[in-house]
Amino acid sequence: MPKAFLIDTTRCTACRGCQLGCKEWNGLPPNKTKQQGSHQNPPDLNPFNYKIVRFHEHLDAEGNVVWNFFPDQCRHCVTPVCVDVADMVVPGALIKDSATGAVLVTEKSSQLTAEDAEAIRNACPYDIPRYDPVAKKLTKCDMCIDRVRAGLLPVCVKTCPTGTMAFDDRDAIVALAQQRLAVAKERFPKAHLVDMQEVNVIFLLAEEKEYYHERAAFM
Amino acid sequence: MRFSRRQFLKLAGAGAMCLTLGSFGVNVDEAFAYSKKLKIEGAKEVVSICPFCSVCCQIIAYVQDGKLVATEGDPDFPVNEGALCAKGAALTSMYTDDHRLTKPLYRAPYSDKWEEKSWDWTLDQIARRVKDARDKNFILKNDKGQTVNRLENFFMMGTSHASNEECAVIHQAMRGLGVVHMDHQARV
Repeated sequence: MPKAFLIDTTRCTACRGCQLGCKEWNGLPPNKTKQQGSHQNPPDLNPFNYKIVRFHEHLDAEGNVVWNFFPDQCRHCVTPVCVDVADMVVPGALIKDSATGAVLVTEKSSQLTAEDAEAIRNACPYDIPRYDPVAKKLTKCDMCIDRVRAGLLPVCVKTCPTGTMAFDDRDAIVALAQQRLAVAKERFPKAHLVDMQEVNVIFLLAEEKEYYHERAAFM
Repeated sequence: MRFSRRQFLKLAGAGAMCLTLGSFGVNVDEAFAYSKKLKIEGAKEVVSICPFCSVCCQIIAYVQDGKLVATEGDPDFPVNEGALCAKGAALTSMYTDDHRLTKPLYRAPYSDKWEEKSWDWTLDQIARRVKDARDKNFILKNDKGQTVNRLENFFMMGTSHASNEECAVIHQAMRGLGVVHMDHQARV
């Protein structure tokens, strides 16, 4: 049974515990950043951030400011396009782990050129993988495969203090997603689950994807 | 380059074909030998407390060969149940970071640089200066001649990390000096 995440954005307070937990577990160095006019920091995914909480603000019909948070990460797609694209140049550079459903970057990815990596990134429906030109490798979330194989939760899920993130067998997560959707619909009539059949990281959004992040959803 | 749904499906189809080719003799086993060692395997677990806010989330520090390798929330602690915020989630870096102070620093009056000092020297200096300042400014009687025994130029700022018992000791120490201005971090 593959594993899956549920990310219920209606519960997210953008504390960024997941983002920092990920950085710490993976031993990733800090980024040099500057104020961009948004609390989103760093401004985008990069080789040192496999997870980022995206911020989006807009006015609703009554003129109230709505601030949406989107903890972006690899969706560990059921049929990962990145794996197929990578296989065309370096077979085995990216793999799909059948036991967990995790999409993993292997050591073979070091044979990928920057152009190959760019093509893989462009093929990703959610714009996730990033190329590290210094280490010459492709980087992205690996579902904390080391932790998951040892029976632990991925560190972002473990860290989340608001109950936004959940991780379990896919069946259990799909059931939980439906439950949470029913709850969210009471407050947010437009609440929906994103690309549930295609991905193993299921997002629950309170409104259209445009109000979160351009690449929040594929369908 | 953006992919439409149709391109997405076409590519996915191509991928499925590659997989089929794989089953006709191309060795894919090697690709599945993805291994990543669990860095906390066999590490000693030490319980500690996040130093930042008054929630006092409990953390587990993983120590291997005397070195801190990871920290995460303690799932058995009822307050945080394993969870942490961004500050608490970054404790490993706080401990290992180059910017972390490991020795007391002293900047003399009118000096523009910090000097490293020993803890003995620092604590003696603090005690000496508290005593001197207290003796100099202690007020025995007010304008009306009533005994007040108070110290008005000291201020005690408490921490939300102190337990009831620690608060009692701190409070008694301050009252012993005659301090009347006391407040708490969580109120300001």
